[in-house]
Amino acid sequence: MTDETLRHPWQLVAHREISTKIRDKTFLGSTAVMLMLVVAAVIIPALLSGHSGPDKIAVLNDAGAKIVQTADQIKGGDSFEVTRASDQAAAERLVSDGDAKAALVPGDNGYVVVGDQQLDDGIQNALREAVVNLGMEQNAGKAGLSPEQLRAGTAVQERLLNPGPLPDIVADFVNIGLALVFYMTALGFGMMIAQSVVQEKESRVVEILAAAIPIRALLWGKVIGNTVLALSQIVLIAAASLIGLLATGQADILKVVAPVAGWFVVFFVLGFVALAGLWAVAGSLATRQEDLGSTTLPGQMILMIPFFFSVFAGSSAKTIASFVPIASSMAMPGRMLTEHVPLWQPLLAILILLVATAGIVRLAARVYERTLLKTGRRLGYREAIALEAT
Amino acid sequence: MTLRVTLRGDVCGGLRSLAWESLPNGSVRDCVPDSQRWLEERVNGMLSVAGLTRRFGDHLALDDVSFDVVPGRMTGFVGANGAGKTTTMRIILGVLAATAGEVSWNGSPLTAAVRRDFGYMPEERGLYPKMKILDQLVFFGRLHGLDERRAAERTDKILSRLGLSERAGDVLETLSLGNQQRVQIAAALVHEPIALVLDEPFSGLDPLAVDAMVDLLRDEVTPEVPVLFSSHQLELVERLCDDLVVLARGKVVAAGPVAELAAGPSTTYRLVVDGDAGWLRDVRGITVRDVAGATALFDVAERGREQQILAEAMSRGQVLEFGPERVALSDVFREATR
Repeated sequence: MTDETLRHPWQLVAHREISTKIRDKTFLGSTAVMLMLVVAAVIIPALLSGHSGPDKIAVLNDAGAKIVQTADQIKGGDSFEVTRASDQAAAERLVSDGDAKAALVPGDNGYVVVGDQQLDDGIQNALREAVVNLGMEQNAGKAGLSPEQLRAGTAVQERLLNPGPLPDIVADFVNIGLALVFYMTALGFGMMIAQSVVQEKESRVVEILAAAIPIRALLWGKVIGNTVLALSQIVLIAAASLIGLLATGQADILKVVAPVAGWFVVFFVLGFVALAGLWAVAGSLATRQEDLGSTTLPGQMILMIPFFFSVFAGSSAKTIASFVPIASSMAMPGRMLTEHVPLWQPLLAILILLVATAGIVRLAARVYERTLLKTGRRLGYREAIALEAT
Repeated sequence: MTLRVTLRGDVCGGLRSLAWESLPNGSVRDCVPDSQRWLEERVNGMLSVAGLTRRFGDHLALDDVSFDVVPGRMTGFVGANGAGKTTTMRIILGVLAATAGEVSWNGSPLTAAVRRDFGYMPEERGLYPKMKILDQLVFFGRLHGLDERRAAERTDKILSRLGLSERAGDVLETLSLGNQQRVQIAAALVHEPIALVLDEPFSGLDPLAVDAMVDLLRDEVTPEVPVLFSSHQLELVERLCDDLVVLARGKVVAAGPVAELAAGPSTTYRLVVDGDAGWLRDVRGITVRDVAGATALFDVAERGREQQILAEAMSRGQVLEFGPERVALSDVFREATR
């Protein structure tokens, strides 16, 4: 009898949790939908903002082409592409047909930028800057100045006092995304844990399980099995968004997200395990599926309040939230993305979370052991904590 | 080269003769004492409860309950509803803690490791409704300590024994209730339990299904396994059980072999004649319990008196029936739990 599972019966329970779930059509379906949503969330904004290649600008002659090329250099390259048109009407047709984003045609005392329904600020500004630069260089030549002399003393540089790792909008987006991933996963899997527990109570199979293995092994098997499933789902989501980002040329975001990813996993696992213990208790307090609505309410609150806090609260509130157990799982990775957080802060937050998780899991195991075999009626939390061992 | 082998369900002698046949140049140097001890710990175990007491708040559910379940014997556990049968069984299985008292196996306190080899069928039936029965039985086999291969073998065997091989891939809830009940007992037997505790195993079954279940138990349970089962169906207990424990209001009121409890030294006789048996009322030395036409039931005060009554009856006419009246188990039960 050297079988590992004999000494660690939780492995069998975890194995059953996982193998049951990955054959469950509802679970597979919801995972697929979630993946599609993630891919859509990554790709669609990129498509809408037109990051799918350089914008075509219709021009009539070499002078126009040179302006577009200069504008392209101003934007850092790969932003604009020249499309030749024979005359103004042809150029306008290219724009109205959508073949070109805009047209640059000669106008009174300079140029006219022609757009279809509206003009992108970026295009307009870049073209305007290019026209001004080129025009002024020409005018300077006529006045006997070199371009360098002309530009002397006009350089403007940028210096940020607290440079953020990501542009604001992207940072907010990724921050909300990470918190949302934790929230959705913890809620989804939490409900599944609670359901799985109450199913065993409802079908009375729990009596046989409890006679064969320690109840704690049953709890650990469930918590670990579902943690593995949840992490796998997150890896899938990460892979899907990675593919989406690479496909749409947004790989730059990864440079910022990657160092935080490891922290996110640590915060995720600890926060998830603590919550999993609570969800298992929510299941063990109920006697039927219908009871779950009320017994899971505290769990939903513990998850929802920190979620909105970590997404919408102001900076100092977020800082506090990033140390509060469970809230920290959502707030700290987000803070690390959007601001510079000294190393001791995530480490301290993890320490606090670790202590809290150990405490919560211990309490959960105690309550779970005492309520799992009570099939008479639904129990309240206060009542359950006061229960003595059976 | 020395191999170390740990076996389950085999003894050293068997290993030696096996080595003799298959390893002409080898020998068994040592029979690993671990497996021997393991075996001794499990085979031929006597399951005992001593002084079991359980309180639920102010209610005393069990009051100093003691009895033995002897290896190789089926022990029937009877008592009215609420007498404490299920509570006792749940304490034996470790699902419920005793307020006082102890459950022991072969004289030592029952450990969780040994208990894991027990088979249990709880009063409230239940398996995973949405799990395939094959997966389900393998899972329970493994939960009780079988390795993967053995669990699969045993599941195959037990399913074909139950005639459910074709349904192996079906989800439990699609089976008829009778078949679900069979799978339930299979789940208690799949790991070749060293002791069986069955709470009302036959309730809700029709007589044919009861017979099938009894056959299954006889085939699947090795002779040395102690079996404790509770039941309301006394005639069934009488038919199947070797020993009996009667529980009333949390106390053991009778215990012992069924034959002794039921037969007893009977002093009641039954007589059926071809005429009217009313004359018995006037005979001295007997107490007439009942006379109805040609049939009479009477008690004798001393042994031998019944022979005189028989002679008297034969002189009066034909005797159609005569003999001692066996006490039905239900009378024992009623008497004990009164």
